Amino acid sequence: MSDENKSCSVPSTGEPVAMQSTTPMWIIVTTLILLFIGGVYFDRHSGWFDVKVYSPYSSAENLEAYQPKSSEGAFIARGKKTYEAVCGTCHGPDGLGKPDQAPPLAGSEWVTSKGINRLIHIPLVGIAGPISVAGKDWNMNMAAMGAALPDEDLAAVLSYIRSSWGNKASSIESDDIKKVRATIGVGAQPVTVEALMKLPE
Amino acid sequence: MKTGVCVFLAAFVSLGASWCGFVLAPVLQLGGAKQTVILQTTDNWPLQRTGDATLGLQVYRANGCAACHTEQVRQTGMANEVTLTGLGIRKPEDFSAFAKSLFVLPELASYTNAIAASLNGWNGALPKTLFITGDNDLASAMADRLKAAGVKSETRLVATGADIARGWGLRQSVAADYLYDQPVQLGSLRAGPDLANIGVRVPDANLQMNHLYAPKSVAPNSTMPSFKFLFEVRQKINGAASPDALNLPKEFAAADGFEIVPKPEAKQLAAYLLSLKANVPLYEAPFTPAK
Repeated sequence: MSDENKSCSVPSTGEPVAMQSTTPMWIIVTTLILLFIGGVYFDRHSGWFDVKVYSPYSSAENLEAYQPKSSEGAFIARGKKTYEAVCGTCHGPDGLGKPDQAPPLAGSEWVTSKGINRLIHIPLVGIAGPISVAGKDWNMNMAAMGAALPDEDLAAVLSYIRSSWGNKASSIESDDIKKVRATIGVGAQPVTVEALMKLPE
Repeated sequence: MKTGVCVFLAAFVSLGASWCGFVLAPVLQLGGAKQTVILQTTDNWPLQRTGDATLGLQVYRANGCAACHTEQVRQTGMANEVTLTGLGIRKPEDFSAFAKSLFVLPELASYTNAIAASLNGWNGALPKTLFITGDNDLASAMADRLKAAGVKSETRLVATGADIARGWGLRQSVAADYLYDQPVQLGSLRAGPDLANIGVRVPDANLQMNHLYAPKSVAPNSTMPSFKFLFEVRQKINGAASPDALNLPKEFAAADGFEIVPKPEAKQLAAYLLSLKANVPLYEAPFTPAK
């Protein structure tokens, strides 16, 4: 025992005591640098815990940038889908109409007209009474089939019928629908052709 | 022990903090999740499963399918796929040379050789994928150039990653996909393929049941065990097969005069497998859907 004590470089002077010493500066600096790097990495990659942002997207803006743009094709495809659900039963999936049910849309001057105000009126308020379509006379009623559709869907449907089955007319945007809808009062009755012709084109 | 209170508090705070992060925060964020909407449509996603498929989830769970199959598609990135859809007045033979003249964008330099190589020996079949890039601006610049040159092109957003390349889904799985799974069968080991999109990949219930009864009858190299106990071997009635009887290759079929019919559990499990789909774009997992 006494030999071991002698080998110590510092002679022991009683019980060891824990003393206070300052934290080395380099540890503080390194910790701060690591915290900073971690913070920057977190900011760039975490998406800030947004519930919609999954890896590999780094932020809500990054996810937004990768949303598919609503292309003309997608808009028309949407119109086709709505058409087949709402209009196709009577006007036919081919737009040729059905005898004693609905006049054709393909080649119809009402559909492909340059002004779109009257065309938009028809699905919004319905139409009643005699009407001449593509040289043939029809006499029947159509309810306001489009009144309950969102502007965007109705615009897509009308754009679809104006650009399908040989029809080649311009697209209609949801703002156009909104404008026409604003001019129509609540509970409007189906228009007749005479009333329709009095409206601006 | 003098520091007992400190030790208790330290343990409480550190465990409590991780509980808050791993349990409380996700429940607050996703606990009230509702159906979401498929991108660019008004259709809801996901749809509630049919009764059979809901029961099938319990069969899936009871048979430990999740031990070898995952239900989560992973994704590593997004890319723009610029595809040629119409040549206008150009001829396919000329397009290759003409395409090179389009690639004057310095950012495109690294793609030029690959595009030229893919156009070599191209017979004019459309649509033709020209190049794939993760850079949105580059893709739209290229689309503008193609448009100005009088040819028609389409830019599609596609998800990328090993799982997508294997055809296991069109995009990554997100929380919304699991809305009606109780419990969620995520799985963590892939001894077999991922099943998140199996309803689209193998949409045939009969084929699914053949595979459950005799995996090797569908995939010769399959290591999946047979789930024969979900089926019954029965004597044919008057020698005629039941409508539900499995139509198996000869070496897997039952003996003459007998037939293999699925028990309700097998039908439920097949219905559940057919309900697994990961092929619609969502806001949180976007891509351009096929027309």
